[in-house]
Amino acid sequence: MIAELATLLVTCVLINNVILNQFLGMCPFMGVSKKTSSAVGMGIAVVFVIVVASIVTYGLYYLVLVPLGLEFMDLITFILVIASLVQLTEMFIKKTSPSLYKSLGVYLPLITTNCVVLNVCLANISNGFDFIHMLVYSVGTPLGFALVLYIFSTIRERLELSEVPSAFKGNSIALIVAAIMALAFSGFAGLV
Amino acid sequence: MENSRLKAFKNGLIKENPVFSLFLGICSTLAITTCVDNAIGMGIAVIIVLTMSNIIISLIRNITPDEIRIPVYIVVIATLVKIIQMLISAYAPSLNTSLGVFIPLIVVNCIILGRAEAFASKNNPMDSAIDGIGMGIGYTLAVLTMSLIREVISTGGFIVSNPFTTEKIFGITFIPEEYCISLFSSPVGAFITFACLAAAVGAYKAYADKKEAEAEKAKEVK
Amino acid sequence: MKYILAILFFGAMVGIYIFLYLMNKKTPLPEGCEDLKVDCSGCHDFGCTNHPAHHLKKEELQ
Repeated sequence: MIAELATLLVTCVLINNVILNQFLGMCPFMGVSKKTSSAVGMGIAVVFVIVVASIVTYGLYYLVLVPLGLEFMDLITFILVIASLVQLTEMFIKKTSPSLYKSLGVYLPLITTNCVVLNVCLANISNGFDFIHMLVYSVGTPLGFALVLYIFSTIRERLELSEVPSAFKGNSIALIVAAIMALAFSGFAGLV
Repeated sequence: MENSRLKAFKNGLIKENPVFSLFLGICSTLAITTCVDNAIGMGIAVIIVLTMSNIIISLIRNITPDEIRIPVYIVVIATLVKIIQMLISAYAPSLNTSLGVFIPLIVVNCIILGRAEAFASKNNPMDSAIDGIGMGIGYTLAVLTMSLIREVISTGGFIVSNPFTTEKIFGITFIPEEYCISLFSSPVGAFITFACLAAAVGAYKAYADKKEAEAEKAKEVK
Repeated sequence: MKYILAILFFGAMVGIYIFLYLMNKKTPLPEGCEDLKVDCSGCHDFGCTNHPAHHLKKEELQ
């Protein structure tokens, strides 16, 4: 049981990484990776929102939608739950902890239409996970996201100082870097 | 007026291509371009969702309170995408399996919400429909180009098949099998192809802007 | 019956979301955080409430 859960964790953090293998969450990956500090903030915000959103959508699906026979409402329910949760979290942080808001406040709203969150919620259902597996999957996936985002931002800070062919400046060279990182990460495939 | 509309339509194809120039909807572009079939299916799904959402949002633009218009757009788009997903899984099940989670993820595709907010919320339904079709074709063109490059390099040729029956319609081979680079069907190839195409579009854009500026200068001198 | 439930459920979800969206918009920013968003000129992600489109005044819309 524990070995199986560990395998699942390693798979979703390293082997089947959301950014480098499934290409999800590219917008924040390109947008928030210019500074290391913002990459860390975004990473923490994503982990938090995904874990909470997974638990809520998983519960709603099995406790409300399935008994009522409304499985076809899954997509609409999930996107509304995620969007509501982001608003609620932002409001809560604003009222209770200004210092936390200072470090995370800007990144929370970015998650409303983030495909990683929606994908994790949908995958929890389509993979037929039980509660424990769902929890491990929804912690591992955003951890993989945060890890790659952090590594990428450190590379990108160096990249600012280097001379790049003019056509490749900006996002294009960042994508080449992502390609090399994907190549490196594909080496993890033999791990499990 | 007609002329400027045509120009805007043309701009959307290359110079302001939603994918390579504005970097919208990169996630699905990178993921589904492993073969031409997927690109065609995804392109059509995006054109339909984009056109329909533009029309609906344009129709309700006067009765939506400004304060909450973006949440309303998200709801409209999610409903439309669910309808398209159900239609695809009923009539083209093979396409549904190969595109997988990327059909529901059209909801969070930046192109759809972006056009809704930037164009459909300010224009009449007719113009919005044209804008939706134009931007959709721009997206389709981008995914088609990318999938062609990737499929030809990784398998030597490409195959087009009927999405409803999975019957093969057309297939062609350019490169003998021993010279194919199968790396291009993996994520690495996706990133490299995308980066090179985006750089090419960027270079073309810089060239076109420079030419335009020169033409304007010449006009001023006259 | 099933479809009436679906519509009710849908209405409730939309209601909750819009209520929270408006509440959050009205909650003032804590002290010292007012200008945090200056850095963000907006990518193309309109779903993000940092995007300038969420904060336009009525007159600026047209």
